[in-house]
Amino acid sequence: MATQGRRDFLKSLSAIGISTIGVAGITPSITKASPENILSKDRMGVLVDTTVCIGCRKCEWACKNAHDMPSGSIDDYENESVFDNKRRPDYSALTVVNKYQNDKTGSPINVKVQCMHCDQPACVSACIVGAFSKKENGSVVWDESKCIGCRYCMVACPFQIPSFDYHKALEPEIRKCDFCFDRTAEGKLPACIEICPVEAITYGRREDLVQVAQEKIKNYPERYNNHILGETEVGGTSWMYMAGVDFKNLDFPTLGDKSAPGVSESIQHGIFSYFVPPVALYALLGGVMWISKNRDKKEEN
Amino acid sequence: MKKILFYLSIILFSTALYSQQKHSDIKVDCSFCHSCENPTKNEPCIKDCPRHTMITVHHSPSEGPLEIKIDILKKEKDLYSPVIFSHRAHSEMSQMGGGCSMCHHYNPPGRVVACKECHDVNRQRADLRKPDLNGAYHRQCIDCHKLWSDDKGCTYCHAKNSDSGKNKITKTVPKKDRIHPEVIAPNKVVYNAKSGKNKFVTFYHNDHTNLFSLECKDCHKDESCVKCHAKEKIIKKQNKTLNQKHQLCSSCHDTAKNCNNCHMEKVTEGFNHKIKTGFDISKFHAALKCRDCHKKPKSFTGLKGTCSNCHQEFKAGTFDHRKAKLVLDEIHAEIDCSDCHTNANYQKPTCENCHDDKSFPANLPGKKIK
Amino acid sequence: MEMLMNPSQMTKKYFTPGVMLVSLIALNGLIFLALRLIFGVGAITNLDNQHPWGIWIGIDVAAGVALAAGGFTTAALGHIMHREEYEVVIRPALLTALLGYTFVALSVAIDLGRWYSIWHPLIFWNGNSVLFEVGICVMIYVSVLYIEFLPIVTKKFIGNVRFKGMLAKLNSPVDKLLRMLDRGLDKTMFIFIIAGVVLSCLHQSSLGTLMVIAGPKMHPLWQTPILPLLFLISAICVGFPMVIMESLIASRSFKLKPEMHVLSKLGSYIGPMLGIYLAFKVIDILIREAFVYLMVLSTESVMFSIEIIFGIILPMRLFFSKVVRESPLGIFIASMLVILGVVLNRLNNFIVAYNPPYATTSYFPSIGEISVTLGFVCIEVLMYRLIVKYFPIISIPEKAGVFKTKYSIQGSK
Repeated sequence: MATQGRRDFLKSLSAIGISTIGVAGITPSITKASPENILSKDRMGVLVDTTVCIGCRKCEWACKNAHDMPSGSIDDYENESVFDNKRRPDYSALTVVNKYQNDKTGSPINVKVQCMHCDQPACVSACIVGAFSKKENGSVVWDESKCIGCRYCMVACPFQIPSFDYHKALEPEIRKCDFCFDRTAEGKLPACIEICPVEAITYGRREDLVQVAQEKIKNYPERYNNHILGETEVGGTSWMYMAGVDFKNLDFPTLGDKSAPGVSESIQHGIFSYFVPPVALYALLGGVMWISKNRDKKEEN
Repeated sequence: MKKILFYLSIILFSTALYSQQKHSDIKVDCSFCHSCENPTKNEPCIKDCPRHTMITVHHSPSEGPLEIKIDILKKEKDLYSPVIFSHRAHSEMSQMGGGCSMCHHYNPPGRVVACKECHDVNRQRADLRKPDLNGAYHRQCIDCHKLWSDDKGCTYCHAKNSDSGKNKITKTVPKKDRIHPEVIAPNKVVYNAKSGKNKFVTFYHNDHTNLFSLECKDCHKDESCVKCHAKEKIIKKQNKTLNQKHQLCSSCHDTAKNCNNCHMEKVTEGFNHKIKTGFDISKFHAALKCRDCHKKPKSFTGLKGTCSNCHQEFKAGTFDHRKAKLVLDEIHAEIDCSDCHTNANYQKPTCENCHDDKSFPANLPGKKIK
Repeated sequence: MEMLMNPSQMTKKYFTPGVMLVSLIALNGLIFLALRLIFGVGAITNLDNQHPWGIWIGIDVAAGVALAAGGFTTAALGHIMHREEYEVVIRPALLTALLGYTFVALSVAIDLGRWYSIWHPLIFWNGNSVLFEVGICVMIYVSVLYIEFLPIVTKKFIGNVRFKGMLAKLNSPVDKLLRMLDRGLDKTMFIFIIAGVVLSCLHQSSLGTLMVIAGPKMHPLWQTPILPLLFLISAICVGFPMVIMESLIASRSFKLKPEMHVLSKLGSYIGPMLGIYLAFKVIDILIREAFVYLMVLSTESVMFSIEIIFGIILPMRLFFSKVVRESPLGIFIASMLVILGVVLNRLNNFIVAYNPPYATTSYFPSIGEISVTLGFVCIEVLMYRLIVKYFPIISIPEKAGVFKTKYSIQGSK
């Protein structure tokens, strides 16, 4: 009876082992099920030159129009009182322009804020259902049909960009700049890029833009700080900034060059590397259970 | 391919420009235009248009167009209508600053290049190093306009294309005759050197413009609007060297020597020829320019205060007293000059030589004319 | 073995003044819950774009999962290590875990903006997401807990299926089904027990990994790559204190004698465990040189100190004392300290340490959020009371055994 039982136990245990290995075998398909995270060499980017921006806020207006959000009259955007407070993108505006004092030259610095479209986006890594994906053209977009509204993307984002419509009971959306994914798919420019009167935001291949920015810094060292924000921060971002002052003064977070989801992903993949650690733990516990059972049996006998 | 064509066109364009002028005439470093050490005709390796001020030639404002309608970027569904740009007015204003090259920063010898010749009409383009045409236009205007006015509103320059006629804004766009209002220049500026015994330099602006006939641009070079229109802007005090401080004056005055010519113990009066030299020029010589009399270059000395110094034709018997705006009556016309003008003083006559109780100018020896 | 194993149904009256009060708080929570469902998350919470997660995640979910650790720790001790003397506490711990995880799932659901899409992770997978792993593990673990609980249900109804009227025909098939289920579960239960422990280890630790991705937004006192390890150890630490606390409250509530002989023995494991936890915490702080933040007086440094001193060091000292372990009041206080310490740790990790870069205000839970959290705890208590009345969960000490616990591996006998 005892041997019989032991055999049964072993049989079941090995069955589990095999099935788990089976699961491990299908991991590649799980990885495939994960959201896209394409890092194309030809991905597009934007170079924001804060020394050029005049703070006309036309980009805000164009953005709302392009995303079917209530935009109001374009004349209202000339009202400068909005600059009294520092604003952040939210469900009613995917991009905002803030104004900062400039102690260096006296003329104010205007900073457009929107999603940076990271090369290694924390939101893409974090999203429980893979509702975010990094597309081939560099944009990081959100898929409404998958999202469950858990807001983990907002916890993860190093730039604190995704926003949530807290006052909607049904179908509340995570909103953030989508790099005008639909417009660019049609060959159009992103709405803000198209409207900017001074081309303070230059749209092009990210690689080219980095070069352009480096040349600008070289040619006009008195105009620019030697720092292209987003060139290397959190592993690089599609939107990059140039300024004449330290970015700390423009409310940008100080971030390292390591990708934002890097540590958490390596921990995660460490725990789950081909399901070996869980299976090993399972086997260990099975072994302990079997041994202690036997020891008890022996004591009883 | 598109990129190659683009560069080729730039190269051709540039060589065409330079062919008008010999290379030996150009007073700039080769590396300013060429990226390689030994450029050849086939491989000129010309740098892409830099936003530095290139070799400039001076053109007078009247050479440029009066006004330009900038409609090259006009599209069907524009929010705003094209700007009518008063080119003449702006170029005139630019004379106080950097001239044509204030806007035409790429200004090769021979001709002035228009914005659209370098800046791409399309925003989606191969070369991202310079802004597209739309960006270039707006930057050119706004960079100055924002300095002296916080009004960045589009309707400052553009008329709005509204759907309904009722809402249509019909703000007048800059007209050709709309030029900068007259600048109210200061009369007198006192500089305090803050050291030494002779601290004060009293600068009479009106003397320099009226008396010495200096043009604005003779002194006001490389100035931007913000020099006057510094609304709430912080202009940092620069630490200038002694030479830099005197630069404006030293183009006419010798500032290296004779400090006391300008630096005084007290605030001084403006330039007065009578006080300074004893020769009153306000009566008969007011319309003259300094150089009409002071013909010796770089010097204003050496003239005697006598009429014959200049007026060799003024001799006894030949002098027409009408020139002094006084027609002598018959009695006086006959007498000798020295009878009235003793000691060769032609300023004021003496009547006492002949008359007991008559005096000048209560009793005139003739009739005053205008 | 004449085990002290005789789980029985509690016969005491369900409603007492205390229960009435608890029901009232539960009702209050349900009212706010209804408001949340009608008007959205923003209507009753203080959450905003800078503070996406509040106490519903920090306490209900993170602390909830940790406090339900009694289930897997007792299962590991009782079943895997085969220490049969602890079997008295396994059933109550299992029920607590079951209810705990059910309400964790519910709390997640109500916090979700699109709560009706909570099933999405089943079909939309993201292998990189820590939250996905936590979600899937919790889903499977809840199922495992229900399977572990199933024999208690089948045992109660086998031979007792008595439908009335039309359904009477179903009596014998249902009875057969139950018997089949019971037999099958008996043979395979060990699979689920081991799976339960593995799954617990995985998601307890991953719950810690959750906040790693927040990077510099999290205060350095807590932000560390070993967060998953700290979470796992602290979950194991809090498992037994939870069992002790519950057992003592249940004994008091149902007027039973406290099972001090078992609880004291359980308590002897807690001290060393807390020691390990403290060692990891201290070494981590020292290696990362984060201790400099303790020198300045701030909310973070105060909260961290409270967590360490009152949540770890003090109870550790108490549990090392035999006098404390053998006194019902002493062990109760020591256990409560551990529990509150871990709750505070979760709260610190998810809320206090989280400093978003653009926040103009700091987060404090709203009345609505607190009401729902308290309401859920109360409903849990009420359900626990209800279930122990109808199912044999709590053992009545010093009586002849009724039947043995369900998870013995029958095949090996």
